[in-house]
Amino acid sequence: MTEYFGTTVADIFATMPKRFKPEEAKEVDIAIGYEATGEGGGKWKATIKHGTLKVETVEGELTDCKTTIHTDAETFVGVTLGMIGALDALSSQKLRVAGDPKFLMLLLPKIFTPYVAPAKKPDAVTARDIIATLAERFRPEKAEGVAMTIGYDLAGEGGGRWTIIIRDGKCAVREGLADPLTVKMTMEAKTYAGMMVGTIEAVTAFTSGQVKIEGDMAAAGATAKYFRKYVVPGATEAEELISLRVTNSIEQRFATGPVMGRWFAGIREKKFLANRCPKCGRTQIPPREICAWCRVRVHEFVEVGPKGVVTHFDIVYFASPDPLTGAVRDTPYATVYVVLDGATEREAITVDLKKEDIPRLKEGARVRPVWAEVTTGSYRDLIGVELDEEEGSL
Amino acid sequence: MATKRVAICAVAQHKNDSDLWHKRFQGMLLDVLEELQAQTGFTFDEETGVNTIVSCSDDFFDARTISDNGVTDVLGAQYRGEEKMAQEGLNAVGYAQAVILSGYADLVLVMGHCKESQSESRRMIANMGFDPFYGRAVGLDNLNAAALQARAYMKKAGLTEEQLAGIVVRARQFAARNPYANAREIVEAGTVIASPQLCDPIRQLHAYPVSDGAVGMLLASEERAAEFTDKPVWIAGFANCMDSYFLGDRDLTANFALKQAAGRAYRKAGIADPKKEIGLVEVMDAYAYQQPLWLEGLGLCGDGKGARFLDQGGQEKYRVNLSGGMLAGNPVIIAGLYRAAEAALQLKGEAGERQAPDLHRAVAHSTTGAAGQFHSVLILER
Repeated sequence: MTEYFGTTVADIFATMPKRFKPEEAKEVDIAIGYEATGEGGGKWKATIKHGTLKVETVEGELTDCKTTIHTDAETFVGVTLGMIGALDALSSQKLRVAGDPKFLMLLLPKIFTPYVAPAKKPDAVTARDIIATLAERFRPEKAEGVAMTIGYDLAGEGGGRWTIIIRDGKCAVREGLADPLTVKMTMEAKTYAGMMVGTIEAVTAFTSGQVKIEGDMAAAGATAKYFRKYVVPGATEAEELISLRVTNSIEQRFATGPVMGRWFAGIREKKFLANRCPKCGRTQIPPREICAWCRVRVHEFVEVGPKGVVTHFDIVYFASPDPLTGAVRDTPYATVYVVLDGATEREAITVDLKKEDIPRLKEGARVRPVWAEVTTGSYRDLIGVELDEEEGSL
Repeated sequence: MATKRVAICAVAQHKNDSDLWHKRFQGMLLDVLEELQAQTGFTFDEETGVNTIVSCSDDFFDARTISDNGVTDVLGAQYRGEEKMAQEGLNAVGYAQAVILSGYADLVLVMGHCKESQSESRRMIANMGFDPFYGRAVGLDNLNAAALQARAYMKKAGLTEEQLAGIVVRARQFAARNPYANAREIVEAGTVIASPQLCDPIRQLHAYPVSDGAVGMLLASEERAAEFTDKPVWIAGFANCMDSYFLGDRDLTANFALKQAAGRAYRKAGIADPKKEIGLVEVMDAYAYQQPLWLEGLGLCGDGKGARFLDQGGQEKYRVNLSGGMLAGNPVIIAGLYRAAEAALQLKGEAGERQAPDLHRAVAHSTTGAAGQFHSVLILER
């Protein structure tokens, strides 16, 4: 059933008996016909007689009605919910009443409690529902002097293309994408809906590449403040509680010490230096003071690699932003587990793989290191590894 | 069958230093571990060795979530049980004691580490201990909170600048005899009084220096202690108490939590009058004024009588901080563990140049949280 403003015409009639106030309708004797055209529409007849109510769907002509209401389904729902003014609808002829409209406008609120759209699960709300409430949620006081056009290209079910025009303290929503746009946001309709109802975090959706923003990034970030928060129909709006956003940062100077320090000195020279346990012979990468298995100090260093073999890998599509810089990693990227030549089996290093090599990556592949032009003694000196196809794979 | 008593068999300390930039804390812990093994010959054998390790560290100081993850190898904890006591070294001893008393283990290694020099500012880390809305917003940190307490206590006890300087001068004299202490240079009272105000009334030399350190001990059940030492030090009582988090909720000079903790520890140890039964005390004096204040809380000095206690030689009567105390420099989170280690060494008669004669019983004290929010008290006896 087609929904408008998050509800259906049928639901409004289905809830009529529950909303009926017989005490108030003792003196009433009337039959009202309803005709709602378009998707989700139909014909209904409500017969109110001495405190009783009968609601029926009608096939064919509406007969024996003292008064009939003719409108399209969207206007009907909008007026019922108060989203569209009844007088506006009447004057624009979107809603016509055969009979006495004033009488109806006084009678109906008296004998029915107001219709409230059914509470929805947040995941049942569509992008279309939310876009439909944009104009109503607009906060002109926050958008003083703002002039922008925002395009939404929302793919999939419940999606569509819309242009939001903010100008002169007013907001209008149009179907389709205008040209030019201040900013255009492209995403799945369900991603948009998720962000609006709070089940998807906007920053995460953006950094993970689920939202594509073209044009003015700052404008995209500002849109939220021009509108009141979207509230799922039927949900009670939570009291606004103040939260504090702070970035805490305390600079650290991590010591590498005389053992791990050798590894980083090696990295600076583009060499992999492991230290070999005198007892079990494993090559620790990175080298540590002690072999935790054998509980003995480890002193001997051996060079391993530089080539190695991929034993495991993963491909990251949903990247965490760098917590310190906020930089977003380009996805997808591969993290591979490499056992360097000469290293013992359980001492793999974890590194990035060159992006172009991802399609040809498989377990057992031979790889060689890719070094930074300038090395400083940091693990980032090792940009990553690339497939070593000259040798062929194992 | 659970044991009745728990012994500290051996202790090992890494020398405290203001900037061990060349050493990972893992390397520091390994030195401590090896010294404990050299002293006692304990192993990590699954039947007869150490299988339970209680560590003490702090995520903020290590800048690592779940800080103990990064040190398990050098604690000997790989493939063994390990539990972390966050930020309170003396409490780790209390926890290890409980583990043994419960019968869960008969041998427990306690290992604590901290490199205050690793972070740009230990004060910023302390600031993070405060709630983000009120305390952090006004820049409260351990120093700032302590200075509020210092002024209140100086007024209550009639403590003077000269007396505070005297506490520091004495601490350095003892620290000079302690090879593990950080600040071992002798200072004159005039130098202390002329040192810059960090947070009035706390001057630079009233405050412990930035310190890196590591300390460990081996605890054993009564039945097994003799395998590792012929001079066991027994835990006679341990207790702790937590006060209100918000500074404004507390009477800063009342020692409420410390009195509670001390009272419980004394009861466990069967001590009716600490003034008569305690031979030595190591208190965690991060700032000079705290030494008499905590001694009041421990019942060794009358309420508000700190000044008179100092003038009448109370520090020598109760052999207060013969190690030089925290004033000579320990990392804040394991300063209490150092206190216990020093008290244990004294009871063993292994305190070198700082050794006190004829000791039977000693108290080690520790505190954490701003201006002494939480206190632990450990009673040790020979």
